[in-house]
Amino acid sequence: MSSSTADLAISTRGLRKTYRNRKGRHVAVAGLDLDVPLGGVHGFLGPNGSGKTTTIRMLLGLIRADAGTMSILGIDVPKNLPQVVGRVGAIVESPKFFPAFSGRKNLRLLAEAIGRPRDIVDQVLEQTGLGDRGKDKYRTYSLGMKQRLAIAATLLKEPDLLIFDEPTNGLDPAGIREIRNTMLALGAQGKTVLVSSHILDEVEQVADTVSIIGHGRLLASGPVADVIGDQAATSVRVGVANPVVAQRILTDGGLLVRQVGGLLIVEGATDGAEITKRLAAHDLFVNELTPVHADLESVFLELTADEGLKTAELAR
Amino acid sequence: MMRLTKVELRRLFSRRLTFIAVLGSVIITGLLLFTAFEQAKPLSAAELTSQRVQFAQAQKDFEANGEQYVKDCLQQQSDMQKTDPKADMGCENMEPNLANWGKPVAKFTELMPNVLLGGAYLLAFVGFVIGAGFVAAEFSSGSMGNWLTFEPRRLRVYASKLAAVGLGLIPLTLGLLSLLTAGVWLIVGHYASTAGITAKVWGDLAEMAGRAGVLALAASLAGAAIGMLVRHTAAVIGIAMGYLVLVEGVFSQSLQGAQPWLVRLNVNGWLEHGTTYVTNSCKTDAQGNYNCQGIETALSLGHSSAYLGVLLVLVVGLAALVFRRRDVS
Repeated sequence: MSSSTADLAISTRGLRKTYRNRKGRHVAVAGLDLDVPLGGVHGFLGPNGSGKTTTIRMLLGLIRADAGTMSILGIDVPKNLPQVVGRVGAIVESPKFFPAFSGRKNLRLLAEAIGRPRDIVDQVLEQTGLGDRGKDKYRTYSLGMKQRLAIAATLLKEPDLLIFDEPTNGLDPAGIREIRNTMLALGAQGKTVLVSSHILDEVEQVADTVSIIGHGRLLASGPVADVIGDQAATSVRVGVANPVVAQRILTDGGLLVRQVGGLLIVEGATDGAEITKRLAAHDLFVNELTPVHADLESVFLELTADEGLKTAELAR
Repeated sequence: MMRLTKVELRRLFSRRLTFIAVLGSVIITGLLLFTAFEQAKPLSAAELTSQRVQFAQAQKDFEANGEQYVKDCLQQQSDMQKTDPKADMGCENMEPNLANWGKPVAKFTELMPNVLLGGAYLLAFVGFVIGAGFVAAEFSSGSMGNWLTFEPRRLRVYASKLAAVGLGLIPLTLGLLSLLTAGVWLIVGHYASTAGITAKVWGDLAEMAGRAGVLALAASLAGAAIGMLVRHTAAVIGIAMGYLVLVEGVFSQSLQGAQPWLVRLNVNGWLEHGTTYVTNSCKTDAQGNYNCQGIETALSLGHSSAYLGVLLVLVVGLAALVFRRRDVS
């Protein structure tokens, strides 16, 4: 890694965590090297059980790492976590507050604990659209409102780094859009947002950079476009009057072709001109020729499908 | 630390369990005062008449049969003295006495310590439940993790919770003990007399009330610490009840040597400025008779305070160590 930890919002090296229970040992994080650049939205992706939440909990000092080093905003944690925790807002998994207290009371307690003025509570409630419901008990909130209250809690600190662990879990489409807009707005303000999710479409829409992990190890990392470009094979979608004949012609020419609906998908094709030339030679004329780029989901599935192989490739 | 303690105090006073515990304490205090009232109030005219009739019948019976009663009594006493030379059945005082038929006049000096003892146990229980619920609820609701993302210094978090529980109990302790003292004073003053209560009596009562307050504080800290270890209010109360019933109630009967280390006995020793316990010493004599004799042993205030103090430090310290290292979900 070339960047120093001072240029990074989060950095981990050789991070490791093993859980032990009656059934034996389970390695949740296995030597994770993670870099989250300062500013913008960073997607933290991985299938369920890949170690995302465990990594976040270790960063926040909620659980102890067995090995490795971590830093947040250039400061080593967990040793110096108290120095930096005031600049970090975090929601880990589902929001958890005192159910019998109102949203406002929950936030007031947190604000007082960190020495923030009372006014800030009403400000963040308004900011997250909970101004009218602040007096209601937390237990009466919908899942979306709970999530918004959790975001409001993170804003009490005026943080430089926000960590959202699965922030759209259980939300309806409107709620998902709200959270997405919030993350985009925070990123646009120059804050760093780390969003852990398995909803790849969401991450692709908001993230500038991304890290993909599997079985507690980093599989790929970088700007979203680079990760997709590096890992995914391209294909070309071809529209033609007689797709059956066209498929035979292209297959005979050594191309991998499959038919989807009335269209042909030519896998691994890099030269559209070659396709049009071959078909035109048989009096078949193309009415659509569209390059199909892989999305984050296909990259993610490709990377996590055969993780051992991919890890070896990445290490090469 | 001060700021955290202040926040924790606000949370403590906002909790429903705290409100219910305080309300319950006030109701039970009322019951304690009602018991004091029942003991202090004089007999009604009808009850007095009935007592006098019973006394007259007893006197008549003694005039007719008293000589035989005394003779039988002395015979039984003589038999008992074969194994216990000090046996005394009080055969010389068998003649009925009107004073024994009435109801003794309530004395503040006798009534108040008993009521204070009841109040001390009540406060200790309430303190334990409030402390346990206050800490355990944070784990069961999951808000402890959220809290630690705002203040990650765990020992500070722990200390602020203990401080809040301890400080929060002070007004309740002062209020209930004052209510009990004033209530008993008024009841005894109304139905009997509070005259002749010396400064020493007040001093002893104040000392006992102080020890009741310290016990309540210790119980609340122990409750909070066990709440930190067990993380569920119901589990804490279950463990405490299980211990009291099984260890202190059932096994203590068969393990007589362990009596000085029973919590309940030491709590009594602490509250009553020392106490006693009885163990049975059984042996077979030369005639082959198996006899048991109760041996009363004193348990000093020093022993009780040191033992309970060490227990408290161990529980609070263990909870601190566990919380410092534990993974919080």
